[in-house]
Amino acid sequence: MSEVQRKKYSDKEKNHIFDQEFMPHIDSMYNFAYRLTFDEDDAKDLVQDTYLKAYRFINSFEKGTNAKAWLFRILKNSFINDYRKKSKQPAKIDYQEVETYYNSDDVDYSSTTDLRVDAVKDMLGDEISNALNSLAVDFRTVIILCDLEGFTYEEMAKILDIPIGTVRSRLHRARNLLKDKLRSYAQTMGYDTDEEE
Amino acid sequence: MDKNLSSEGERKTNCAEQSKCFQLLESILDGENIPDGDKILKEKLEKCQPCYKHFHLEMAIKELLKTKCCHQITPRDLLDNIRKKVQEIK
Repeated sequence: MSEVQRKKYSDKEKNHIFDQEFMPHIDSMYNFAYRLTFDEDDAKDLVQDTYLKAYRFINSFEKGTNAKAWLFRILKNSFINDYRKKSKQPAKIDYQEVETYYNSDDVDYSSTTDLRVDAVKDMLGDEISNALNSLAVDFRTVIILCDLEGFTYEEMAKILDIPIGTVRSRLHRARNLLKDKLRSYAQTMGYDTDEEE
Repeated sequence: MDKNLSSEGERKTNCAEQSKCFQLLESILDGENIPDGDKILKEKLEKCQPCYKHFHLEMAIKELLKTKCCHQITPRDLLDNIRKKVQEIK
């Protein structure tokens, strides 16, 4: 979101940007909002608020730049500033607590899991969706941005306002937590998770 | 047989730089621009069992996430409501 150039778009240009660059991302935006809030009405409100803010501040958007990342950043900020304060959700582990627990961006990538590829491939949608939904919101967010939406680390850093190193480490931690959840599902499915492939 | 080789003798069973390798493999899987990424990936998958296993597990989870968690149906009235509200603030 560049604030270097504050162009004044004409109404026609504004409408064109809104329709051609912003609206095509509505399905991704809704999916993101729903996975943050777990509530259809809250997700709708969050997406609507995001699009209204995007329209109001359209002059700070530079035509031809990454509209999807710009919109995701607004949605993320709206979620933190507005939604989380009035959340109907029961309190979950806050990322700050988790961060304090780990207390570093340095992640040990060497931890391994005995979860097997064939067990993962046999999983239905519910298991992976439930595993993703069970993660604390900041871990869930990096997985959504990276694995569902395909943002680069640099784009994620801008959306989340964190350094790239933190994106990388948070993503790795999120994936380890996700694997722990999937491993539990695999065991209930009867897969022997202790054997090597 | 070398204890550091897998039973097939194709890949080593221990990775001396596992932490560094896993980080690199995840970056490659995520589409980050790693110099000689394709070459590095090919070599690691051919020669190192922990790297092979880690990469394929991460890839399977990533594919599962993409195919199973992206299809929340956007409510039909959302788009209309947004357009209506935008008209109001114009």
